[in-house]
Amino acid sequence: MYLRGDIRIMNCTEAKALFSEFYDGELNQEITQAVKEHLADCQECKEEYKNLKKSLKILKKLKILEVPRNYVSFNQER
Amino acid sequence: MDIIELNLIEMARRGDRSSLNELFSQHQRYIFNLTLQLTGDAARADDLTQETFLMAFRKLHSFRCQAGFRTWLSRIAINLFRLEFRRKPKHFSLCLDETRIPSHQDNPERVVIKRELQWCILHNLQQHLPAKYREVLVLRDIHHISYKEISEILGWTMSKTKTCLHRARQMFRQQFINNKCKAFADDYLCICEGILEL
Repeated sequence: MYLRGDIRIMNCTEAKALFSEFYDGELNQEITQAVKEHLADCQECKEEYKNLKKSLKILKKLKILEVPRNYVSFNQER
Repeated sequence: MDIIELNLIEMARRGDRSSLNELFSQHQRYIFNLTLQLTGDAARADDLTQETFLMAFRKLHSFRCQAGFRTWLSRIAINLFRLEFRRKPKHFSLCLDETRIPSHQDNPERVVIKRELQWCILHNLQQHLPAKYREVLVLRDIHHISYKEISEILGWTMSKTKTCLHRARQMFRQQFINNKCKAFADDYLCICEGILEL
């Protein structure tokens, strides 16, 4: 990573390593901006980040089920 | 930890069963789903949920309120899962009938496809992710738990949590690409046939 003027420039390896934290909004403002700049310029990374978002969207389709029975009635047994 | 939960814990420790039941009731849906997503097996999830609450009941006196109550329960559930996983790591049975989905508003075709998608997700979690990656992915991307709490639950440093989550997500994504999921390959129809907009 190096500075060009005020902008931090990162390569593909550095950007890809940060995708997960970038997705979660866990990076500071400066690094977030650097990832955004990289994604704007790099088609390959843009595609990879898009695929990451797609797969996590699939995961969010997993249903949260109701409990099949009550597990926590401790009135009688102890 | 909020004051209401603290009061419930205190009352439960003094033997108040209704406080204990209320305290545990708030988390049973979460624990059941967590163990179901880790094991992919409703019967094992049922056993693990039961064991988690029994152990929590026995050890409530030792809970120091330093971590949140959900964090503590999660840690118990995951430790029980790891113990069982070590004993029978290869056991796996995932039945579509176990992935019950409320579906009153859906037509039969969509119900089947949605059920298959549920199976597909659980299958990828069980069969293609090592347990530690499955744990971190389920906690973060299904239950939306913070990095800090995940680190406390799994007993990891923040740095390890970030690294493992990153690898877990990469691996999970790669499985859908390898399996030619419709979302990733326009010239191939997976079981959902692209009907579910992603």
